[in-house]
Amino acid sequence: MARRRTAADLSYALVIGGLAALAILILTGPVVIVLLTSFTEGRSLRFPPTGFSTEWYQLLFDRARSGQIHRAAGNSLYVAAVATAIAAVLGTLAAVGIARRGTGWARALDTLFMSPLILPGIAFGLAALMYFTLIGLRPSLDLIVLGHVIVVVPFVLRTTSASLSQLDPALLESSASLGAGWFYTFRRVTLPTIAPGIAAGAFLAFIASLDNVPVSLFLAGPRSDMLPIRMWGMMESTLDVRVAAVSGVLIAAVLALMLLMERLTGLTRRMSS
Amino acid sequence: MTDAVAANGWLGRLRPAEWQLALPLTLAFAAFFLAPLGLLAAVSVFDDDALTRAGFAQWAKFLGDPFYWSVVGDTLGLGLMTVAATALVGFPLALVFIEASPRWQRILLFVIVLPLLTSVVVRTFAWIVILGQEGVLNRAIVALGLSPAPVRLLQTEAGLVLALTQIEMPLMLLPLLGVMMRLDPALRDASEALGASRWRTLFRVTLPLSAPGLVSGCLLVFASSTTAFISQSVIGGNRLVYLPLVIWQQSLVVYNWPLAAVAALTLLVSVSACVVAISAFGRRIGGAPVGVPAHG
Amino acid sequence: MSLRINRRGFLAGTAALGAAGLAGRPAFAKGSVTAAIYPGSWEEAFRGIVAPALAKSDGVTLEMQPLYAVDQIAKARAARGQPTFDVFVLDPGPRVSGIDVGVFEKFDPKKLKNLSAIPGGLADEWGVTIAAQVVGIAYNPKKLPAPTSWEDLLKDPWVSRLGLTGFQTTFGTVSIIEIAKRFGGSETNVDPFFTEMRKVLSKVATIGAPQAMAGLFQQGQCDVLYTNTQTVSTLKGRGVDIEFVKPASGAVAFFTTMHVAKGAAEPENAYKYIDTVISRDVQAALIKPPWNFVPVNKEVTLGPALPMKSLDEMAGFVRHDWSKINPLRASWIERFNKEVAK
Repeated sequence: MARRRTAADLSYALVIGGLAALAILILTGPVVIVLLTSFTEGRSLRFPPTGFSTEWYQLLFDRARSGQIHRAAGNSLYVAAVATAIAAVLGTLAAVGIARRGTGWARALDTLFMSPLILPGIAFGLAALMYFTLIGLRPSLDLIVLGHVIVVVPFVLRTTSASLSQLDPALLESSASLGAGWFYTFRRVTLPTIAPGIAAGAFLAFIASLDNVPVSLFLAGPRSDMLPIRMWGMMESTLDVRVAAVSGVLIAAVLALMLLMERLTGLTRRMSS
Repeated sequence: MTDAVAANGWLGRLRPAEWQLALPLTLAFAAFFLAPLGLLAAVSVFDDDALTRAGFAQWAKFLGDPFYWSVVGDTLGLGLMTVAATALVGFPLALVFIEASPRWQRILLFVIVLPLLTSVVVRTFAWIVILGQEGVLNRAIVALGLSPAPVRLLQTEAGLVLALTQIEMPLMLLPLLGVMMRLDPALRDASEALGASRWRTLFRVTLPLSAPGLVSGCLLVFASSTTAFISQSVIGGNRLVYLPLVIWQQSLVVYNWPLAAVAALTLLVSVSACVVAISAFGRRIGGAPVGVPAHG
Repeated sequence: MSLRINRRGFLAGTAALGAAGLAGRPAFAKGSVTAAIYPGSWEEAFRGIVAPALAKSDGVTLEMQPLYAVDQIAKARAARGQPTFDVFVLDPGPRVSGIDVGVFEKFDPKKLKNLSAIPGGLADEWGVTIAAQVVGIAYNPKKLPAPTSWEDLLKDPWVSRLGLTGFQTTFGTVSIIEIAKRFGGSETNVDPFFTEMRKVLSKVATIGAPQAMAGLFQQGQCDVLYTNTQTVSTLKGRGVDIEFVKPASGAVAFFTTMHVAKGAAEPENAYKYIDTVISRDVQAALIKPPWNFVPVNKEVTLGPALPMKSLDEMAGFVRHDWSKINPLRASWIERFNKEVAK
């Protein structure tokens, strides 16, 4: 029996659709401006851009003239990858350990694990540098990784906890009662449910690490130049258009990655069917 | 439910094993987060910049000055407004997302993560372009006749909240979608087949079931927007003063590290208190979805 | 016995490997020096000019860490005695802070071969001046008539297009002091600035973070601000509509200095590096566009883009005593937060 379309349904479509459209506008607006600006013919960041050219992208990929940016990007990607991998493992384990528990200890730990997100980066960066110096560790790329793990772990923890709340305890019970070991249950029951949460958290963690300024600033040693710090210098003193082109490259890379994954999942679906 | 499992003899053995899973992160935090935090607390109880005289002078100065209280209030207020704004437009987008075809979902997902792909450095420039006196938004406002002359948006709280809404929205949507994508569409269909309007289905079925994701998103947005120093200082300008700016000035410009530590700890404690409150609220609405079984 | 030695050798080897992995400073065969440098055009200029010159003259490799002056002091202070770089580059405010918190090694100017080429008084027991900065007013000539004095900034038509910054930066602090002086204040008394500013505050176009001023100016959020000549020349070179004006009461000059970090790993190379920076050829290259430095070496021929024809004119510029300003800065910043920002 088809339901009658009511005024309420119409208002629902208008309000929800309108707000969602607004959300899309807010999400994309600034990105469109950055992309348009990155194709300017002008000598500095300015909107509206003058003309159209890809010269800033060519300059960005020029090994001789943008070598420092490449080195910084390499460092930033390395730190983000390693920090995200460590944070994903530690964060997921901890989330499974404490989520779904109402005990005071679990809640206290949950709050503790959130706090790096709340402590301003400058304060954590300075305190971490003082502490690491005290225990004899010198600033370096490895130390930046360590600092970033702490700072990005909350993302993995939060998104994973959210997915865990949907895990049906009955499933865990039956798996265990059938004699399955903990790891088997984790792999076959828990992980499939929380995988999207872990993936979302790892993505947020990766980006947060890639864009982090204060922790990197204080834990960087010589030759551990990081991309966002370099970009600040380019933006502030010279309005260098390459800072916009960097975003263009990142957007293109993620788009390509998503298309590739779509092809791959499409392929596996066809093969399995 | 879980308590029943725990009480159930040999099944209870699962529990200590699960506790141990949190151990590696707990140890990492003890070594690399709590220790620096302790150092920060130690620094805060010195009276002078050179850290020679112990005392609570900086705490007294900070807590005794109504100006700093208002800064704390403004900072928390900024976080709450950002949470409200991201939830207001983000949740409807999530509703559209879960009803979209797989192809559209992939396109929407790309749109949702877009803000994260533009570095904070150049994003702030984009907001100058949008919010400026001769900016994109002001031209639209004047063209639509909403205001005869350009209005000040840049360096106002409203403009800052709008900018933060963009950058924080992925933090709201990713945990939210993680939960909503796993909701059984049959529940919504059943609710509507029983004659409930779409509004009623939204508030009685979808929203309560999405609560864990919504709460996670709110927590991330709140924590992240209250400490977003670069966005706050560049888009908000120095007309607006929030705690991260105070911490930056005190630690890096005048080297009053005790006062910077006091401000940082105050921010940590006050935001954590809000986080705990939001979690507790979330457990209340999420723990008892109205009239719906825990699992479809 | 041999087993024990082997085991000890193995342990020592592992420890060394671990230390090499953890310690940030790479070991170079031919000697290196790690210098903190301002991010952006300073770093580019030093990479393009100073690094090759240093490699050529002394065979020393220059490594740079991009850090603002305030960040350098904070970082050195937090890493007590174990700095991550050998040489500071600082404005006068952070220089005085650095002396106060004891992060500099005592400096021996006599170790510099090029000492005689820089005017007397620019080197002392803490470091040596390597460049000057000249601060004045910058405006957009397409939008505004040229202002002539600091007072003009608080009058129409300029005040309603003014981009104001606070005491966080050296150029901001000296500019506010100069405005205060025009209304009866002094180096240690900026009250008149606050009094006068309160009257026009609602008209001021922008109160910005210093890092954002270039972008705000470019997008027309403000058309007049105070800054240094180097920034103006650099932005002009990038096609921005911007001109520099020396205020009637004189432009302000302050010096950028270099210092050897206490606990520096390569103190000798640090001197070689600083010597290279003040050498004639390097300074002559640094003053050219797009770098636009204001030199300190007397043997350098000044170009047309500089705010003076000879270094002797520097004596006529307004100077400030930062040992008096620094102790007051915290209260000024707090007052700016409370009275101007809110």
